[in-house]
Amino acid sequence: MKFFYYCCFLLLPLMSPGAYALPDNVKKHTISGKVTDKTDGESLVGATVFVREMKTGTTTDQYGRFSLTLPEGIYNIVFSFIGYTSSPLEITLNKDISLKMELATEQKELQEVVVRSDRNDQNVVKPQMSVFKMDIHTIQKIPALMGEVDVIKAIQLLPGVQSVSEGSSGYSVRGGAPDQNLILLDEATVYNASHLMGFFSVFNNDAVKDVKLYKGDIPANYGGRLASVLDVRMDEGNSKGYEVNGGIGIISSRITIEGPIKKEKCSFIVSGRRTYADLFLPLSSNKALQNNRLYFYDLNAKINYEINDNNTIFLSGYFGRDVFSNQFAKMSWGNGTGTFRWNHVFSKKLFFNLTSVYSDYRYLLGTPDGTSNSFQWNANLKDFGIKGDFSWYINPKNTLRFGGAVTYHMINPGTATGTGSETVFSSIQVPKNYSIESGLYASNEQKIGSHLVATYGVRLSLFQSIGPGTVYHYTPNHVVIDSAVYKTGIIYNTYGGIEPRLGLLYDFNGKSSVKASYARTYQYLQLAQNSSAGTPLDIWFPASPNIKPQIGDQVALGYFRNFRHNTIETSVEVYYKWMQNVIDFKNFAQLLLVDTLEGQVRTGRGYSYGIEFLVRLNEKIVSGWVSYTYSRSFRNIPEIQANPYPAPYDKPNNISVVLNFQVAKRWSISANWVYATGAPVTFPTGRATVAGKVIPIYSERNAYRYQDYHRLDLAVTFSSKEKPKRKFSWDLNFSVYNAYNRHNTWSINFVQDNVDPNVTYAEKIYLFGIIPSVTFNFHFKHE
Amino acid sequence: MNKLLFSLLILLLIAGCTERINVNLDNSYIRLVVDGGITNDSMLQSVSISKTASYFYNQPPPMVSHAIVTLSDGSFLDTLVEELPANPGIYTLPKKFRGVIGKTYGLDIKLPEVIGNAAEYSSICKIMKVARLDSIQAEFNPDMGKNGHWLIKIYAQEPGDEMNFYLLRYYRNGVLMSDSIQKWSTSDDKFFNGSYIKGLTAFRINNGNPWETLHPGDTLLVQMSGITKEYYDFIQEVQQAGYQIPFFSGPPANVEGNISNGGVGFFTAYSNSFAKLVIPTK
Repeated sequence: MKFFYYCCFLLLPLMSPGAYALPDNVKKHTISGKVTDKTDGESLVGATVFVREMKTGTTTDQYGRFSLTLPEGIYNIVFSFIGYTSSPLEITLNKDISLKMELATEQKELQEVVVRSDRNDQNVVKPQMSVFKMDIHTIQKIPALMGEVDVIKAIQLLPGVQSVSEGSSGYSVRGGAPDQNLILLDEATVYNASHLMGFFSVFNNDAVKDVKLYKGDIPANYGGRLASVLDVRMDEGNSKGYEVNGGIGIISSRITIEGPIKKEKCSFIVSGRRTYADLFLPLSSNKALQNNRLYFYDLNAKINYEINDNNTIFLSGYFGRDVFSNQFAKMSWGNGTGTFRWNHVFSKKLFFNLTSVYSDYRYLLGTPDGTSNSFQWNANLKDFGIKGDFSWYINPKNTLRFGGAVTYHMINPGTATGTGSETVFSSIQVPKNYSIESGLYASNEQKIGSHLVATYGVRLSLFQSIGPGTVYHYTPNHVVIDSAVYKTGIIYNTYGGIEPRLGLLYDFNGKSSVKASYARTYQYLQLAQNSSAGTPLDIWFPASPNIKPQIGDQVALGYFRNFRHNTIETSVEVYYKWMQNVIDFKNFAQLLLVDTLEGQVRTGRGYSYGIEFLVRLNEKIVSGWVSYTYSRSFRNIPEIQANPYPAPYDKPNNISVVLNFQVAKRWSISANWVYATGAPVTFPTGRATVAGKVIPIYSERNAYRYQDYHRLDLAVTFSSKEKPKRKFSWDLNFSVYNAYNRHNTWSINFVQDNVDPNVTYAEKIYLFGIIPSVTFNFHFKHE
Repeated sequence: MNKLLFSLLILLLIAGCTERINVNLDNSYIRLVVDGGITNDSMLQSVSISKTASYFYNQPPPMVSHAIVTLSDGSFLDTLVEELPANPGIYTLPKKFRGVIGKTYGLDIKLPEVIGNAAEYSSICKIMKVARLDSIQAEFNPDMGKNGHWLIKIYAQEPGDEMNFYLLRYYRNGVLMSDSIQKWSTSDDKFFNGSYIKGLTAFRINNGNPWETLHPGDTLLVQMSGITKEYYDFIQEVQQAGYQIPFFSGPPANVEGNISNGGVGFFTAYSNSFAKLVIPTK
């Protein structure tokens, strides 16, 4: 109920007539509609709608829709989008107009006919900062490990983002922990985005449309994580003709089929991929290897149906599994997500989305049956959620977004059971826990005068633990005293948070701007993991009477400037971030299959700061970006160490160069070079000998560093000839990961010599030397 | 159980490449190291006292001689004697001594000079009871690995009254094969508290390693010890120390023992139970 009042309070200033900036005697009308791709009918997200006479405009939302209210008159409106030919339109506005604009992709053969000044200056004029959007075509050009182009690996090349360890899908945003990133696939939370121990991510490029990473200034419609939001949108499918896309690589292949079910109204896309390294194992002469299994597969599907101009629905789903087994062990894990979405246009100014999501992450680990040590361990995590979002284009000066969401979380941290008749193990059930996470938000984007845009809003979050549940009570020294058991349905713990989100933009005549933002975020679910790389054996645990929610505050300031008709975007951003109740674990913590996990958690504060320089190129010949980041990140958890220590992601200097050169019509060359200060690490500064083993006496936490990390990747793509009306096209991609074969440190072990036990030495493990690969991609189209 | 999980995870690792490297390390201050203890039989009645050294010291640990080391159970029991010059730093009970299950023993050390930040150190440990080993079995599994593996299985009734912790070691023809802490097996009773332990695999011996594999006619002896939770944790921590596998190792940390004043190591006390088997001819 309290929430309701907050919302009313927030909406009040907008309801008063004073909030309308236009004089009442001028008649106003609304132009609204949708911007789509001419070839396949898919909506274009973030396309610019620019009114030349007013020198103002808007951009399309996630569903390609826009709404603009203008005084009566004749206008030249330009619709534009990166990689598409801009399209001007003259409109006589004397009544409300609804239209559908189709943009055609830029043909490489075409001469530049585009009016450059009207396009993609969003970097400068949009009030959102600390955000990076990439479409899938950009990602596909980046050289990749084993030729497997990957969304998350691309994200890790952005300023302010660090990979947690070589090859891992985990990433740290502005000094945050990997579990502080919210990863959404069509709005459903993906709890573990890795395949094959993190060397690949769950996102199949052929099914992804675009990705957006919010590193700060997180919009009020998102919540639940401190550090970032990665919003991945699946392709909607071609509503005009059939397409088959596929690729054959050295370790995996993929195929995507899309097309209309009802032309221009209803489309579908189905995409699948599988790795097949293990298919060659039966050929091995090693008997033990022949029965090994090691693969993953993915399935993505989506149906998009435009019922009429005012109603669109879609249904999308993802299912993926990793399977591993040999004679000693079997293991499998994976995500399943489902999203149902209804976009409804109430009026030309009020858009509505209703989303219901389902997410499931599960894993099992076990041994083959029939031995005395046979057992199987199952764990899973389920989410059911419903969400309503409104966008209200009140007038040209104000756009109000508001809505709410409720998610039910069910976490089963582990059921371990002896299997088969010979097993000696009985079974263990770590208590399951249930909770409801809800949020209400409202945020207004207001233009003040001709240079200033303010975005102000608040998100109210609420987290309730519901029975059945067991809560252990601990002494201040983390020893269990007793426990309380709660019955089904009883709400036994509630946390709430008020999360203000503020943003300011000052625009110097469209060429450059200054932006500032502040955001507070709450996080109620976290990962019990204290390793640096992460395994599939994830245990998420919620806020509880023993664990307070994590709270993050971030302020950021940035200067943005575009050059050469917006083909060169530059920016500098500084940020400072405070975190409360951040999580770490006691030394030698035992996180698997324990019901007193909370007793091993140690909490404290964290802070990080940094400056990020970015130059992004969008020229015809050269595209990509170059960035330099200086950042620090610390944790202050007195029970771990009296003084603050560097966070595992504290890598002060960071350079990314990601470039693509279109050297000829059919040839393109890509290169990326990354450099990062070595990760902080704890090293021994002495040794003791106990029972024949040399044990290290360690330095302070993270007092040393690994060697600096750097790596160059290269790729060359050769494409088939472009001919109009050609149905079949292909490209061949050669790539080299770690081109100058640097042995970057994955970990350093301190080893006791086998022959002379008095001798100890340091041994570096590195994962990848130089790795060449080749991928063949094909594309077939039928109108 | 958790060890089993970890060993499974290791199998999952995509093998990385290794190379020896030089690392420059600082030296922290010198600490006292205590290692040893007593049992309810004559298996162990001594402690070794040494000092920490720089990490790449690469020589036998510097031993500490001329300390006064005494054992008590609330009241003074005996003084442990150092045999010089034969075994410097090794202090042994002079008379035959048998610890009593359920009793708590104390070790007091007075040093001739200050080491670390103290000249006096002490420690206590209780002798826990042990499940009686009924029997053991050695099973050959030809399908495991290239040359097959021997699995040594144990049979015992778990008492079930409280959380128990066990340490397992084995001898081949009277020679201790679990000769370093890295080769010890440990188990808690989480999965079989109070029930009959019917063939838990305690050791897995690679038949491809001639120095450790079993042959018909070999006498196999398994020693099972009831240990305290603190000692169980200590063994686990020592076994993990030094190795970092980014997939599942937590941040490195100092192993926690039970020696006062910041001393390193463990003074332990435990009870034993044994079972013997002669490997039959096929």
